Amino acid sequence: MIKYIAKRLAQAIPVLLGVSILVFLIMRVFSADPAPVVLGQHATAEAMEAWREANGLNDPLIVQYFTFLTGALTGNLGESYYTHTPVTQELMSRFPATIELAVVAILIAALMGVALGVLSAVRKNTAIDGIAMVFALIGVSMPIFWLGILLIILFSGVLHILPSGGRIDPLLAPVGGTGLYLIDTLLAGDFEAFADAASHIILPALALSMYSMAVITRMTRSSMLETLGEDYVRTARAKGLRRGRVNRHHALRCAMLPVTTVIGLQLGSLLGGAMLTETVFAWPGMGKYVVECILKSDFPVVQGAVLLIGAIFIVINLVVDVVYAYLDPRIKYAQEEG
Amino acid sequence: MSRLMATTATAAAAPARPAKRESLWDDVRHSLAQNVPAMISLGVIAVLALIAIVTAIAPQILPYDPYAQDLSASFLPPSAEHWFGTDQQGRDIFCRILIGSQISLTVGLLSVAISLVIGVALGAIAGYKGGVVDTVIMRFMDMMLAIPSILLAIAFMAALGRGIDKAIIAIGFVSIPEYARIVRSQVLAVKQADYVAAARVIGDSDALIIFRHVLPNVMPSIIVRATLGISAAILDAAALGFLGLGVQPPAAEWGDMLGRGRNYIFAAPHTMIFPGLAITVTVLAFNLLGDGIRDAFDPKARKR
Amino acid sequence: MSASDYSVSRRRFIEAMGLAVGASAFGLAGCGTSKRAGEAGSAAAGGKGADTLTYAQGADPRGLDPAFVDDGESAKVIVNIYDTLLSYDKDNCDLVPGLAKEYKVSDDGLTYTFTLQEGVKFHDGTACDAKAVKASIDRQLEPARTEDMPYASFVYGSKDAGSGIASVEAKDATTLVITLRAASTPFLKNMAMALAAPIVAPSAIDAGDANEKPVGSGPYKFVSWTKGDSVVLEANEDYWDKENMPQTKNVIFRIIAENASRVTALNNGEVDMIDGIDASVVKTITDAGNKLFQEDGMNINYLAFRNDTGVFADLAARKAFLKAVDVQEMVKSLYGEYASPATSVMPTWMAPYTKEVKQTAYDPEAAKKEFADLGITSCTMLTYTNVRPYNSIGGQPLAEAIQGYLADAGVEMEIVSYDWTTYQTKVDTDAFDCCLYGWVGDNGDPDNFMNLLADENISMNVGRFRNDEYKKLIAQGLSLPEGDERNAVYLKCEQMVAEQSPWMLISHAQTLAGYNPAVKGFAIHPTGVVHLAGVTKTA
Repeated sequence: MIKYIAKRLAQAIPVLLGVSILVFLIMRVFSADPAPVVLGQHATAEAMEAWREANGLNDPLIVQYFTFLTGALTGNLGESYYTHTPVTQELMSRFPATIELAVVAILIAALMGVALGVLSAVRKNTAIDGIAMVFALIGVSMPIFWLGILLIILFSGVLHILPSGGRIDPLLAPVGGTGLYLIDTLLAGDFEAFADAASHIILPALALSMYSMAVITRMTRSSMLETLGEDYVRTARAKGLRRGRVNRHHALRCAMLPVTTVIGLQLGSLLGGAMLTETVFAWPGMGKYVVECILKSDFPVVQGAVLLIGAIFIVINLVVDVVYAYLDPRIKYAQEEG
Repeated sequence: MSRLMATTATAAAAPARPAKRESLWDDVRHSLAQNVPAMISLGVIAVLALIAIVTAIAPQILPYDPYAQDLSASFLPPSAEHWFGTDQQGRDIFCRILIGSQISLTVGLLSVAISLVIGVALGAIAGYKGGVVDTVIMRFMDMMLAIPSILLAIAFMAALGRGIDKAIIAIGFVSIPEYARIVRSQVLAVKQADYVAAARVIGDSDALIIFRHVLPNVMPSIIVRATLGISAAILDAAALGFLGLGVQPPAAEWGDMLGRGRNYIFAAPHTMIFPGLAITVTVLAFNLLGDGIRDAFDPKARKR
Repeated sequence: MSASDYSVSRRRFIEAMGLAVGASAFGLAGCGTSKRAGEAGSAAAGGKGADTLTYAQGADPRGLDPAFVDDGESAKVIVNIYDTLLSYDKDNCDLVPGLAKEYKVSDDGLTYTFTLQEGVKFHDGTACDAKAVKASIDRQLEPARTEDMPYASFVYGSKDAGSGIASVEAKDATTLVITLRAASTPFLKNMAMALAAPIVAPSAIDAGDANEKPVGSGPYKFVSWTKGDSVVLEANEDYWDKENMPQTKNVIFRIIAENASRVTALNNGEVDMIDGIDASVVKTITDAGNKLFQEDGMNINYLAFRNDTGVFADLAARKAFLKAVDVQEMVKSLYGEYASPATSVMPTWMAPYTKEVKQTAYDPEAAKKEFADLGITSCTMLTYTNVRPYNSIGGQPLAEAIQGYLADAGVEMEIVSYDWTTYQTKVDTDAFDCCLYGWVGDNGDPDNFMNLLADENISMNVGRFRNDEYKKLIAQGLSLPEGDERNAVYLKCEQMVAEQSPWMLISHAQTLAGYNPAVKGFAIHPTGVVHLAGVTKTA
């Protein structure tokens, strides 16, 4: 097992390296010159040249890349051109917000998705099944940003029951702790702040979860149907076990495994959706920040952020694979990923 | 989306065998014809395609010029004259949505074509050759998969600048790995088959073997994936447009129209509602069709 | 990885899940000592308590050290944290005392002696005396000045140009002597600007993080800044200026990028004040029972022709363009009643003498003919995608409106657009025939507007207008004392702009903001900033 993990980790290194090269090329070779962006509209041509020189932008690309790489290896991703703050600090201050949003979204997606999927499998070809499937289809077909805006219009613009953006009332924001407000406020026993944080996260998490929820619903339904058709389930029923008990004890359990994988994979893809959701809901996370930084050519931040997101992606995949290998003895640890 | 769809597509299409190819396709066509939602979707797509082609050839049949501004008619609500209302420049939104089908379908089809051609080629080579070639190609694919595709596409667009051609390239490029992975795993599966071994014995070239024996087996998974890929590409293009990274004005692109409309959600909600509906309906149609095709290829699903 | 054909024992599954849950619970147990950012129980839900003012703006400040920023979003926060030597009056750019009680100017106009308020303390308790003011200014003078101080040369001048501050001297705790290289009429007004001029505590400068943790002497103290979300300030109970004491305990600047989202947040009671709104949402705001702040803005929204190259290097072509566009109709349609068509570079309320300037009139037939005679059938325009203070609807709709007029005159115009930050570099590097731009006045001085067309710096003078006669006028205006003679010089500048048409003047935007009726005393200053010290809120 350890050997397997070590091997997978070793494989991840060249991938991460490749990610860094790819991002570096896109941002440095094709993008606009950041000097005027950074120095502002009053800067002179000489000043910009001096700045480029000082920030190593006149060095050969290969030198620039290695400067970036050696920095990254020691945890130094450089400074934001725009705010002069270390990139690691900028990213870490926004990271918990994105993680909290993604985790809440995946929880909503998993709970609702599995419930809907099981329900529609058990009640196959009934109205419930039909509604659930239509819901799932619309869920994968709606642009996430459009859904977000519609939710804001309904719950904040018309009903006035939920806030339209932000993460928490800034005066209630917990200081220190994990940076995950839902957990920090609970640990501090500050229920007013917890309720405020919860009311802020509902809409963005719902919008973000919709796609994954739909995917999980469909996955659960089809794998439930598959197991319900298996011999042992039919045998159990033939033995006279009550239908509900069979569904719960035999079918659901087996159907859960592929669903677990999907949940793991969706957590990764949520990071992509988070960029749009955070933009719509003014959620102060990494996704919105990366979009802003791409638009203003803040190279160091974009490089750092993409590297971080890539690393998270790889780690999630690794964890999913390892959990899988652990759960299912049929997978050989040495097996190559297909 | 891609990864899950890819896995299920692979799993579902595995039973196809070349010996029964003729009858398989007949079978599929027959089964698809009985799938009502899929046929409705096909109808919707056909209508969209027709609209796109007709408005491209004869734009004058539209009741209004979708690009002509009339500042005295800005933000008119939906009415008998303007079914979907007008936008800030006083342009008819209904006409702009009709003509916008050109861009959405073009982006969907061409970007999928790009990722399809490159992805299939890379996947086939990686799977067939194996060894170092395989490792290099698949590591590169892993690398691309490690970045959310929309993030990669945004970075590309920010670097290349706006334009529908660039959006097609960006979206096409970022979905290459999905096709490469499907094809590679399928190629690995059929490579050992007797008929491939036989072809090799009688001296067929690698390219011929890939084209004649390997690719036809991969077709079902690829068709399913490509259909679903079109809907993903349309969504990605809309996301780029929404972020202001899509088309050049005055081109009518649904995501771009929605993005502009979001600043007027209260004053003129029709400017964002109709483009959003257009995107959703189109994507829904391709998703339903993709599902239908997958079920048609999968005898197990048909029995249910 | 294929997912469809695995099965698993229940025990293993549960074990795996339990492991994960246990690990996370353990990991979190050690972090239970968090506190609130604000004092516990101070206010109910966001924006609702009478002791908290929440102001929503479209973007994060770039930074909170006035030496290193050049954007309005930073300026709005900065003016509440810091003081300046002199200040602008509440609703215009007349000077009133600030940290300096009074000042004397030598006869040659080169030496300014400021007498400072006594006993002023920065928020961290250190003294805000002449030495501190000198330190805050000195770091922005050559040779200490660094490249990332965007406004330093503008406010404090430069050696090469022979302008600005030659030296700063702290005679004693309350006497500050500033010596200029050349007499300058805008100098005093520059000392009241929101950028570069505010006085930063030397302790924060030395600590090197004034951009993140600002320390000033102003009515509000910095508390926290969550990037992309909010900046929190609290009242400075020991503020020296007893007439301008902060009236509300907490101030929050919320960052909400989308225009529509800010409106939703205001109408939903999440925030008390919002800016960056346009005509289309005014009704939504007032219908919800909120109030509209509406004031003439100190700005100009214009189209710059490339005066050096391309189809509009020819004056006749520029004139034809001006005749092709119905600025009156366009401004009315795009901005409603919230912007006025521009007839001069400076808004007429700011410089009343500009009323007599006449621009080229709209004449579509003549335009069509002239373009045809000149053989011009196409041109390229650059524009920005964002909303700007002088252009509330963004560059895109404006460009497309102009595109429509030119099409009527037989000229096909290609629009190339970029987001604002990229755009600023593109006007430098791209080939184009005309582009959209604008300016918000920093200090109410005519030089601040008219100098744009004399500037050698392309990012200021995007149309590359080069005219020696014009430059002479600008140099003359700089050293003349305020009065009729100076006004005459700037009127001449305006008339040259009308004749030479380096720009197509479009509009002067009104400054618009929405606010909750419970908020009293709210106003946006003509320079675009908001002083919140005098603002109160009823519960």
